[in-house]
Amino acid sequence: MMTLCVVAAGIGLAWLALILGALLYKGLAGLSLSVFTGMTPPPGEAGGLLNAIFGSVVMTVIAVIVGTPIGVLAGTYMAEYGRFSKLTTVVRFINDILLSAPSIVIGLFVYELMVRPMGHFSALAGAVALAILVIPVVVRTTEDMLNLVPNALREAGTAIGAPRWVVIKSVAYRAALSGIVTGILLAIARISGETAPLLFTALNNQFWSSNLNAPMASLPVTIFQFALSPYEEWQQLAWTGALVITLTVLALSIVARSLTGRRENG
Amino acid sequence: MLSTELSMPAAIAEKTKIDVKNLNFYYGQSKALKDITLSLRERSVTAFIGPSGCGKSTLLRVFNRIYELYPKQSAEGQVLLDGKNILDRTQDLNLLRTKIGMVFQKPTPFPMSIYENIAFGVRLYEKIGKAEMDVRVEQALKRAALWSEVKDKLNASGLSLSGGQQQRLCIARTVAVKPEVILLDEPASALDPLSTAKIEELIDELQADYTIVIVTHNMQQAARVSKQTAFMYLGELVEFDSTEKIFTSPREKRTQDYITGRFG
Repeated sequence: MMTLCVVAAGIGLAWLALILGALLYKGLAGLSLSVFTGMTPPPGEAGGLLNAIFGSVVMTVIAVIVGTPIGVLAGTYMAEYGRFSKLTTVVRFINDILLSAPSIVIGLFVYELMVRPMGHFSALAGAVALAILVIPVVVRTTEDMLNLVPNALREAGTAIGAPRWVVIKSVAYRAALSGIVTGILLAIARISGETAPLLFTALNNQFWSSNLNAPMASLPVTIFQFALSPYEEWQQLAWTGALVITLTVLALSIVARSLTGRRENG
Repeated sequence: MLSTELSMPAAIAEKTKIDVKNLNFYYGQSKALKDITLSLRERSVTAFIGPSGCGKSTLLRVFNRIYELYPKQSAEGQVLLDGKNILDRTQDLNLLRTKIGMVFQKPTPFPMSIYENIAFGVRLYEKIGKAEMDVRVEQALKRAALWSEVKDKLNASGLSLSGGQQQRLCIARTVAVKPEVILLDEPASALDPLSTAKIEELIDELQADYTIVIVTHNMQQAARVSKQTAFMYLGELVEFDSTEKIFTSPREKRTQDYITGRFG
């Protein structure tokens, strides 16, 4: 039994190692400063991924700015104000569905909601699609983390004369802070690799653009496009872009893990 | 049924701080307190004893209406604080809780520094400067006999203290907002004997300035710290008298059975 489990774990790890190995091998070869300074090139020329990286950062930041407050407040309602309400059960159920909804569905939804009425693809639509992906992750972790705060602590805050909102803000949030931040980091990690929702919303852009009302490049979509292309330079940039995303997500996960660890130890 | 006999012994005429009249309490449909009537003396320690589930904690939680955090819990009857019914709908709950502080069974320091744990409550209703706040924090910690142990690490987390220290921090925090009444819900049941002794000593000192109500499982503790004791059983107030009387010559057989350890 144990042997089987070890073998199964080994197979899982082996694939991961193979993927990471291939990524490092192929990606590192193209990793240079020009990746972070040059624009995506036309076929056959040298260039970088700056506009794609910039686009990803912009849309991720907007998505987090839009999605996090909604997610945190909804989670707060569920864990604090509406803990005993039926609405909470309903919201939790819907949120769980949203959490596991295929991201391409979200992309299509925002396409209908924004892209068609506006008549063109835009970075804003991309950011909204990503925000919709952020919300359920943040709702879930916020509710879970607040539920872990012992009721005795809320009672203690209340018993000293603090109004409900002060107890939530100064006691419950503080006790759950690292967990909530971890949830936000995990949400960022999730959306930074999303391709499908961006294909229908932000599309792509071969050039530098900071116009939110126009199509914008992003790393995942650029990787998708370049990897499928027959041009060697593009394929190389796709590998390098994939490495950049992977390392970013890895770094975020490590930060998230260390925050959770600190919470458990302290 | 006993309410007429349960009024305070007339021998010691002291001021009544809290007057409970015909109090009933419900968890949903089930009745947890049945027609409780008793008076608590000002600047004195009153103990509530009784087996688990007898309603002693429930009664304590009515005094600051903390039960209202949870749905389906309700109280009816009268609880007069200095003659004013706190169960009245117009009662400002946060204000009530600044007058009636509470310390819980498990130490509940807030996730902030020792200093902030105390300043937090003070800051809610008073606008005072840094220097004055320093004095208040020091006074509160001294009052809770904790100052000498923490004066060099006021910025350390309240959670870094030992259990007994945390509980004294909670008492300091309660005292800092200058309440009139302090409710103690089994304050020493999670502590070691040495910390328990410190808490009891503290209760003894605090009664000079505060009206104290303590719920305890520990009968020796009730006997040691309180002036008056109420014995409760199955949601009823069985007997309420001076602590000495309850522990030496109780009127009710149920009380005697309980304090001699025959049940509970």
